[in-house]
Amino acid sequence: MTTSSLSAVIRLLAKSLDVPADTITGATELEALGADSLTVIELIFDLEEEFNIQIGDERPDLKVVQDIADHIDRYLANRSEAQ
Amino acid sequence: MSGRRVVITGLGGVSALGIGARQNFEQALQGHSGIGLLELKGERQRPGLPAAQIRAALPDIIRTAEQPLFDRNAIMGMLAAQEALAQSGFAVENEAEAEASGVFWGTGMGGSTTLEAGYVDLFVEGKSRIRPMSVVAGMNNAAASQIALRYQFKGTVNNYSCACVSSAQAIGEAYRHIHHGYADRVLAGGSEALLNYGVVTAWDSMRVLAPADGTHPERSCRPFSADRNGLVLGEAAAAVMLESLDSARARGAVILGELVGYGASNDASHITKPDPLGQARAMQMALRHAGLAPQQVAYINAHGAGTAAGDLAEAVSISQIFGPATQQLLVSSTKSMHGHTLGAAGALEFILTAQTLGTGSVPPTAFLEQADAECQLDLVPLQARHGLQIEAAMSNSFAFGGSNVSLIVRQFHGA
Repeated sequence: MTTSSLSAVIRLLAKSLDVPADTITGATELEALGADSLTVIELIFDLEEEFNIQIGDERPDLKVVQDIADHIDRYLANRSEAQ
Repeated sequence: MSGRRVVITGLGGVSALGIGARQNFEQALQGHSGIGLLELKGERQRPGLPAAQIRAALPDIIRTAEQPLFDRNAIMGMLAAQEALAQSGFAVENEAEAEASGVFWGTGMGGSTTLEAGYVDLFVEGKSRIRPMSVVAGMNNAAASQIALRYQFKGTVNNYSCACVSSAQAIGEAYRHIHHGYADRVLAGGSEALLNYGVVTAWDSMRVLAPADGTHPERSCRPFSADRNGLVLGEAAAAVMLESLDSARARGAVILGELVGYGASNDASHITKPDPLGQARAMQMALRHAGLAPQQVAYINAHGAGTAAGDLAEAVSISQIFGPATQQLLVSSTKSMHGHTLGAAGALEFILTAQTLGTGSVPPTAFLEQADAECQLDLVPLQARHGLQIEAAMSNSFAFGGSNVSLIVRQFHGA
């Protein structure tokens, strides 16, 4: 899948965790970053604002940064199809 | 009262008088006021109101990733707790110690600024949702829980919310908790950070807030003064490390004083009007628990909020309980300088009271140029008193809802 949200995910994660963005890649494990479940909830809230989308109540298994980007991208793709 | 002795091994505080328990006490001794014109964050202001705001930036003690979890209330609470714990020299080293350590905290309005921000998003900005950590940051037990989490205090963690006695009650109940053997140590105290538009407006609507002094806003709160004109809201947090004497001795901790008396009562006569009889019952109970005669108490840090009815009621209740001993008793209200910090007030005033024992100095009632003739007490006007022998001191806290709490701290004598 071509990701369009990965850079935004990395930027917002870096900001919320106060770590340099260049230390984060799509393969970086969330646990290793110190991003717990509450951090991810906050991040998804910020991504919803950024992309003007509403994520549903599903609970995907998010292990690495790319997983979050993929999750967001599915919504972005659905929105494109709907337009 | 039979039971374990409870001693103080650490103090912490942050208020408009500064950061640090000692700093707060020294500022109070000098009669410095932290009160100024209120400056709220954002566009909406309550112009002309004074407040005791902490204007300096708070030390950065919360990780960036955790900041959404913290209201200002909890950050200030963590700051005070951190200081008290550091002074005590205690750190949890094993599971038994963790389970024997508790946190008893008090706050009136908890994370009200977080709640207000959420309401602004919903009702003003027209958004359909609010920040996801609003519940965690806004809940009343947030400070207590975050303190327990950070320092791994795994015993009882209680939060008291009884308006202006909240943190005094937390300290008193912590005393009982240790006294009766439920824990070896408790970090007790309280925090209040309610200087936001909604809460300030609510207090203003009750018509209990003092207007700003026309030329000197810092003099706006004048407890026991003939021209007193109401209370001044303030923000603060304060903490005290309480331990069983055995725990403190086993660690070789420096003992700053002994908490010997706790009295709690309710007026059950009016929801806001203070009742000298209810106040007297709290003071009497504290004296009885302490096993002290009135003349052994040298100083009272009064509730003294600066309202016409409240200060007079307290002067009456003190005179009633202390009788002839009132002649030698010193009574001051430090709210003249740090304002009324509501849920944090009891703890803040307790850490000031505790410091009178070791220093022999008593802070003044600032700006008290002409006392109310009906308040027949030595109110320590304008200037601190020094070189005193203070065997025991009392801190009074009274609240809307009729709650009254008196705490008595005494010089520590071994044996």
